[in-house]
Amino acid sequence: MREHDDGRDLSRRRLLGIGGALGLTAAAGLTAAAGLARRPSFTGAELRSAVPLPPAFRVPLPLPAVLAPVSTSGEADRYEITQREASVEILPGVRTTLWTYNGTFPGPTIESRRGRPVTVTHRNELPVPTVMHLHGGRTPAESDGYPTDLVLPASRPDAGSPTGHHTPAGHGMGAGHGMRDPRAVVTRLTRDYTFPLDQRPTLLWYHDHRMDFTAPAIWRGLAGLQIVRDDAEDALGLPAGERELPLMIADRAFAADGGLDYPALDPTLRDRPGVREPYLAGVLGDVILVNGAPWPVHEVDAARYRLRILNASNARHYELEAVGDDGRRLDLVQIGADQGLLAAPVTHRFLPMAPAERFDVIIDFADVPVGGRVTVVNRLGSGRARDVMAFRVVRRAADDSRIPRVLSSDLPDWRRSDAVRVRDLSFRAGRMHGGRGWLIGGLPFDPARSDVVTRLGDVEVWRLVADVHHPVHLHLVGFRVLSRGGRPPLPHDAGLKDTVSLRPGESVEIITRFDGHRGRYLFHCHNAEHEDMGMMANLEII
Amino acid sequence: MLTVAASRTTPTGWTLRAVVSAHTVAIAGQPVFAGVYLSGDFDSLRWHAVGADVATTLGYLQAIAAIVVWVRLRQSWPFLATTAVVAAETVQYFAGLDGALWLHLPLGVMTIAALVVQFVAVWRRPLLRREARDA
Repeated sequence: MREHDDGRDLSRRRLLGIGGALGLTAAAGLTAAAGLARRPSFTGAELRSAVPLPPAFRVPLPLPAVLAPVSTSGEADRYEITQREASVEILPGVRTTLWTYNGTFPGPTIESRRGRPVTVTHRNELPVPTVMHLHGGRTPAESDGYPTDLVLPASRPDAGSPTGHHTPAGHGMGAGHGMRDPRAVVTRLTRDYTFPLDQRPTLLWYHDHRMDFTAPAIWRGLAGLQIVRDDAEDALGLPAGERELPLMIADRAFAADGGLDYPALDPTLRDRPGVREPYLAGVLGDVILVNGAPWPVHEVDAARYRLRILNASNARHYELEAVGDDGRRLDLVQIGADQGLLAAPVTHRFLPMAPAERFDVIIDFADVPVGGRVTVVNRLGSGRARDVMAFRVVRRAADDSRIPRVLSSDLPDWRRSDAVRVRDLSFRAGRMHGGRGWLIGGLPFDPARSDVVTRLGDVEVWRLVADVHHPVHLHLVGFRVLSRGGRPPLPHDAGLKDTVSLRPGESVEIITRFDGHRGRYLFHCHNAEHEDMGMMANLEII
Repeated sequence: MLTVAASRTTPTGWTLRAVVSAHTVAIAGQPVFAGVYLSGDFDSLRWHAVGADVATTLGYLQAIAAIVVWVRLRQSWPFLATTAVVAAETVQYFAGLDGALWLHLPLGVMTIAALVVQFVAVWRRPLLRREARDA
């Protein structure tokens, strides 16, 4: 027995050694993971500007001009927008050439009323084909801006046309992307987009949606706001007039010549889609613009304000909080989501916002001393990208606005039992056309393939699963979030949405009714780089 | 003097072996469900969550069995090893719920490795009462 025990003791010592080595390996592994991980996590890579950046909170907040209609007679209000290059001063003293709607960034705001149709004639004076899409609009398919329904420029008649006679061969990732689409409706120079606007009042936005080149086109400036209102919302007594502020938040980076930096494989944005390898997951900029101004400041009364916030960034997520000089956080009272008013207000201390999401928020400056500053910061940002904008309270003022306990009673109450179909859809990285890309259900976008076919009026539950951050957007319809990560939705999932943010490894269940119009629509990831690199699919309503 | 009976694993030892074995099987399912889930199969997340409940519960049962082994057989190492695995599983559970994947993935791999080592340890020789073995 003694010999046996000696052997045991030896093996026990050895065992301790082995155990210690394994323990050290485990500790080293976990420490490395903790050190290398992005905490908070984000998807994408940040470009660094090559010009000196201005200090924060100096530039006044611009408010996009409201576009005057060219005609209001007859069945619809008519507007005209020219898409053209313009040289704009974004950073003080620096000229930046943008692609714009009517020469400004953001483009002009279109004010519209529920049920009053609007026709916008877009004229393309840019060097590339364009497609205009009204995000969040309940729009007939022919005006929804399908990515191959191009408006060709005068200068290069057939460039990039899906029905063109030759597709440049030999380009990598998007090779199959220049694929023909027999259903494409291509026009030359101009196109009328008609929006019935038979939908809940909300903040919409219009932006370029061209096949393969949406991300760089938005980055260069092709984005603007459209607001839908109705009498019921006007009667609520919410802050209005100068106390209603649309805020389009977007990040950009600037090259040494003052132009916008973007890692496009084809700087002409004509033939070869995609971005350089390090930016495949998304392009982030180090300058935060609000309504086209870097880290602006806005003078306000000590009163309630209605902030209509849009995250128009290609890939950057925000977690916004409003902090006073004393470090105290101001409540952000959410009254509306992507598709209009909530049933009742929801109070947030911070507001997570994925690309293309909109939040309608009331902030009350009444308790801020005159002269005090409230800064809006992004908890997910680092360095200069942490600051977003600031408000300076400059005067006491009367405030007759209010936040009703009941905001709306027309939200759809679809139940799981109403659903005639449940679909599982995965959003993840993968191989496409011999390169790396982003896939839905294992497949990259193909305009000629019907991915989801549903009947007009059908209610469906979609179960979405993501590998990294994917803000998933459905055209035509609004939806409600049923669950997130197998648990009840989060506070900011309230209301009717058209874009839902999936975080790494997360799943979300949404429910919607496909109604309004028949035709070919889309659903896609609204990380604009992912969208250009395959993460888009057809939604056919029959 | 060793009796034949004393050189055999007792019911206490067999209980620990059974729980460790079940625990190992349960935890082996977790990466399977996680992988299938990330392929887009929504239901697998629920299975991953059920698997987490089962594995964690078995972890606590294993801790109880290990305490009994400690008391009856005077062997403390199963309890100490089980405590480490249970602690890891508890952290693992909340890391999963919080979506802290940087922690959840490596810790999961390490937990499975640790449990496999325990599986080998409880099966490679009889679990005997220390006095009997030392007698």
